[in-house]
Amino acid sequence: MSLSWSRTSRVIAGTATALAVLTACGGGGDDADSAGGKPVTITFWGWAKGSKEVVDAFNASHTDIKVTYEEIPSGNAGGYAKISNAVKAGNAPDLVSIEYPSLPEFVSSGALQDIGDAFTEADRAKLLPQAVDLTTLGGKSWAVPFDAAPQAFYYRKDLFAKHHIEVPTTWDAFRKAAEQVKKADGKARIATFFPDDPTTFEAMAWQAGAQWFKAEDDTWKIDTTDAATTRVTAYWQGLLDDGLVHKNASFSPEWTGSLKNGTTLGYLGASWGAGVLKGTLPEQAGKWAVAPMPSWDGKPASGMLGGSTFAVTKGSSKKAAAVEFARWMATTEEGVKARIASGTSSAFPAATALRPAAKKAFDAGYYGGQDIYALFEAAGASITPQWSWGPSTGTTNTAIKDRFGAVAPGGPTLADAVKAGHDATVAELTKRGLKVEG
Amino acid sequence: MKARTRAAALLLTPFFLLFTAVLVVPIGYAVWLSLFTEKQSGLGFGGSETVFTGLGNYATALGDRAFREGFGVLLGYCLLYVPLMMGGALGLALLLDTALARARRFFQLALFLPHAVPGIIAALIWVYLYTPQLSPVVRAMEAGGIGFDFFSPEGALPSVVNIALWEWLGYNLIIFYAALQAIDRSVLEAATVDGAGAWRVAFAVKIPLLRGSLAMVGLFTVIGSLQLFTEPLILSRGTGSAVTSTWTPNMYAYSAAFDRNDYGLAAAASILLALTAALLSFAVTRLTGSRKERTA
Repeated sequence: MSLSWSRTSRVIAGTATALAVLTACGGGGDDADSAGGKPVTITFWGWAKGSKEVVDAFNASHTDIKVTYEEIPSGNAGGYAKISNAVKAGNAPDLVSIEYPSLPEFVSSGALQDIGDAFTEADRAKLLPQAVDLTTLGGKSWAVPFDAAPQAFYYRKDLFAKHHIEVPTTWDAFRKAAEQVKKADGKARIATFFPDDPTTFEAMAWQAGAQWFKAEDDTWKIDTTDAATTRVTAYWQGLLDDGLVHKNASFSPEWTGSLKNGTTLGYLGASWGAGVLKGTLPEQAGKWAVAPMPSWDGKPASGMLGGSTFAVTKGSSKKAAAVEFARWMATTEEGVKARIASGTSSAFPAATALRPAAKKAFDAGYYGGQDIYALFEAAGASITPQWSWGPSTGTTNTAIKDRFGAVAPGGPTLADAVKAGHDATVAELTKRGLKVEG
Repeated sequence: MKARTRAAALLLTPFFLLFTAVLVVPIGYAVWLSLFTEKQSGLGFGGSETVFTGLGNYATALGDRAFREGFGVLLGYCLLYVPLMMGGALGLALLLDTALARARRFFQLALFLPHAVPGIIAALIWVYLYTPQLSPVVRAMEAGGIGFDFFSPEGALPSVVNIALWEWLGYNLIIFYAALQAIDRSVLEAATVDGAGAWRVAFAVKIPLLRGSLAMVGLFTVIGSLQLFTEPLILSRGTGSAVTSTWTPNMYAYSAAFDRNDYGLAAAASILLALTAALLSFAVTRLTGSRKERTA
């Protein structure tokens, strides 16, 4: 027995388990769409809150399609790797959850199929145009957008009132509020910088008007040194240098712990965060409120943070059934209701007509009855439409995340991290044989 | 004669079948994968095409600073970890060898126990102990005026070394202790009769007699270090620490495959690492082997 041996056997055991799981999860590719009489069975992989309840509701109300739901780790926590591997191994499920930022990468690796013929123009017209844009790549339609995820600022209204702090509407005011929080309680901070999650930072850049990835003719133009990005980078660097925000990993035990003991007073998140807070901190019901994201000029503006789409994998022979189920989840009242009634989801549907239904299904008691859906509605309308995601989000964000962890006063800066993400992206696209400028 | 051959073939078949299925075939597949890369055209939304690239992936890996820096991290890790591990395990084994019989049993078990904890669990526990707002250790250190950030760029390497030491010290200690127990007692008695004290016996008699075990533990520790993966991976994901996703060569391969979807590059990086390990083992065995011949 040696160190390397036991490691190797562990790896082998792990691989064997993974293989077993993959085979078990594969689902059959035997029967094609709508074989006479027998229901079509499709497999769906996802992790969003309330997915299981949605699948149960669908199965209870449909006889022609049966959905098997398998929960996988969230995308960046290993879910995307699992999906890519399954596609490569030829045993992928029919339908998968993919967030907007990662969709172009899955499309360019050839893991998905064009669903334009099944998910038609009429379907797309029901949805928030910004969400449709993010799922239309190279003129083809690749996924069913489920939620729009406008940014929102969650804060402890009891503690804000106690310390006489006004809810900030601009980033300048946010900084002042951050100083007040620190002054009132030396251990407390207004919010958290997530070094493990570049998408939160990217949403801030998006909100400010940045456009990192631009497709022009056959060329990708990468620009991360525009005025908007520079401004956001400098602003957050300042907050970090002056110790005005915590620096903790997102949804980590230390983040949750600091919310629990009241040393973190706010959370710069998105619409779906309302459900996360409610699920994570049930004992703080009534203490939280939601505000629009602070903006640079005081006018409403929002980026989009996460947000799910449903896409059909390349190998699936049941596209029609898979799209039918995705359409039901995303564009019907029953589908949206079933998810939100689970109690843990505060998804803000991309389907504009369904928002009243979503609002009705969400129990806003946690937020003291505040009309949070009206707030999301306004924030959703203010999503600046210029942003699109590049085809190598994995590479871009891994490079940024790696540098974010090392950011320290006097050490590497946020700007260095963004630059590293830029360089890694250009190198990756060049390696793939694409034309890049930037 | 024939019956014996048949029996041998029969008994060896399961081994060779498994050996082929879980070692030869995967390695062959990795070599095959490492020769191809994905190319796209236009904006890349037309899907990708697998093309032969020869040694292109190897060139990319070797040309990537992150990959080369991974070997630098390994070197730093070995320089810190190997002496601490060898010195610590040897020192404790010598202490145990001289301690009271009853205390010996207890310490043997207590020191070995961490090794029974799977590496991934150990890493998770240690991450908890390293995390500023959660850890009682960090709080105690701060109260004592020691501010050390285990997740900082300077703190990352010692943090990982500490986890590995905790996991493997007891294991290597047992190897040394067993070797010490195997020393002929009459040799030790003779030394004592000649007037050697405990220190003298340890340094002039016991340690030289442990040379075989020392070489073995050293070899395994170095080779094992090359595989460094689990502990830094846990530190790199979900802590916001300075450990990057390409911190060691193994992690580089993992990240290439699962963050960047580049299986060809991942395969090439793995093979380069395997070759390094093979060369190093060969060199170390040759070195220790020839010394044995000389002393024999």
